[in-house]
Amino acid sequence: MLLVQNLSKSFGNIRAVDNVSFCLNNGEVTALLGPNGAGKTTLMRLITGFYGADSGDIRIDGCDINTARTNALSKLSYVPETGALYNDMTVYEYLKFMAGLRNMDEQGFVDNLVYLSRQLELSGVINQRCETLSKGFKRRTALAGALIHRPKLLILDEPTEGLDPNQKFSIRRFIREYGRRNTVIISTHIMEEVEAMADRVILLNHGKLVRDTSPQELKLLTPDHNIETAFRSVTEEGSGAAQ
Amino acid sequence: MTRNVFNIFCKEFGSYFRSGMAYFMLMIYAVLSMVAAFFGGYYFQLSNYNLFSFFYFQPEVFTLLIPALTMKLWADERRYGTLELLLSQPLGYTELVAGKFLAAWGFCLLMLLASVPLWMTTAQYMTLDNQNILFSYFSCLLAAGALCAVGCTVSSFSANPVTAYIAALAVCLLLKVVNFDFILKSAASGSDLFIRISHSLNFDSHFASMISGQINAGSIAYFIILTLLGLWLNVVSIGYKRS
Repeated sequence: MLLVQNLSKSFGNIRAVDNVSFCLNNGEVTALLGPNGAGKTTLMRLITGFYGADSGDIRIDGCDINTARTNALSKLSYVPETGALYNDMTVYEYLKFMAGLRNMDEQGFVDNLVYLSRQLELSGVINQRCETLSKGFKRRTALAGALIHRPKLLILDEPTEGLDPNQKFSIRRFIREYGRRNTVIISTHIMEEVEAMADRVILLNHGKLVRDTSPQELKLLTPDHNIETAFRSVTEEGSGAAQ
Repeated sequence: MTRNVFNIFCKEFGSYFRSGMAYFMLMIYAVLSMVAAFFGGYYFQLSNYNLFSFFYFQPEVFTLLIPALTMKLWADERRYGTLELLLSQPLGYTELVAGKFLAAWGFCLLMLLASVPLWMTTAQYMTLDNQNILFSYFSCLLAAGALCAVGCTVSSFSANPVTAYIAALAVCLLLKVVNFDFILKSAASGSDLFIRISHSLNFDSHFASMISGQINAGSIAYFIILTLLGLWLNVVSIGYKRS
């Protein structure tokens, strides 16, 4: 579904993403892990076409992001960390706008709207302006906007940031379920989220891919079989090497 | 292509009304235009068979108002983080730029339509040169298009709408003052070439020649070239952010 080959991106002297390669298959939820400044957001922005790479290739369902940008982007959806919405629109208007950008027909839009309103519990706020929504509803509206055309590849930056435990639980369950039929990438700092959702972990440090493994195997790296300890051990080891 | 441009157009055009800005701008436009025509243009003293008093001050009114129409088009996308969302949609940069530009230009058309009652009322009292008036409306639309393109481009360089307004106003004023006497006199004792260049770049002189009833291909070309140049720079600036 997603093929990333020898991808690099620098900002001035800082190498944000350094020769990263991986391949993601359908039916996988992959967690992008790494300390702050590891290059997670840059990597996601490269995949979504927001940044152009200095070198390397990105192929989404066989379409190259540089040569067939529109085709490649039609297969993915992205929710940035900010969960950005158009505040002057109502939830309905926002979802309609997002569906319009994906050239969805009216029936397809209505079907997905009904489905997502139920799944993400948006029915009560559907005619409310986005600026008046609580943080939890904003996140869910942003997620609904990304899912309105049922993308094959869903990329989420900190999807449960700012949500209460009940909302976190329902969003994680929804993402897990969605990832059974599609490809999902989540960027997170929350280790329990990795254990709850991810089939695979890609660990970045200083822009380099340092581990590509499963959460279970990552846990086995330390004697206490704790994913947080394993994360610290791998990233501190990487920092030591870099120093 | 057309559908995507239409979607972006609807979003931006609707945003003027959702935010209430449209009503405010229409009111300000009507007041400024009428004050300029009645007091500055000696509307009642001159024989206004071609509504010259009204059209003469349109560049000044547009210079003040169009930067306010365009200031948020790109600046707000950057300020609220929605640019990242928008650029990850399967849209070409040209479509994005065209949609936003057409929304601002379309609003200018609406402002001009708001002045039609003046035409109708004046026609009750005197015989008007309707062909000339129609051509003057066309000239206003062309001039507005050029200023919209300049405003859109300037907005794409800033994340702050106020900065975008001031910068766009400065660029629009620059296009107007390039032919001012004090500039011509201060430049190399007003060499012929310099005078000809500044005259050909001056916004007002092209506009004045058009509303005087002459169909001047050079002036039409000036506005079209200025519009296309602005839009091209806008596309380049959006693409530049990607790299």
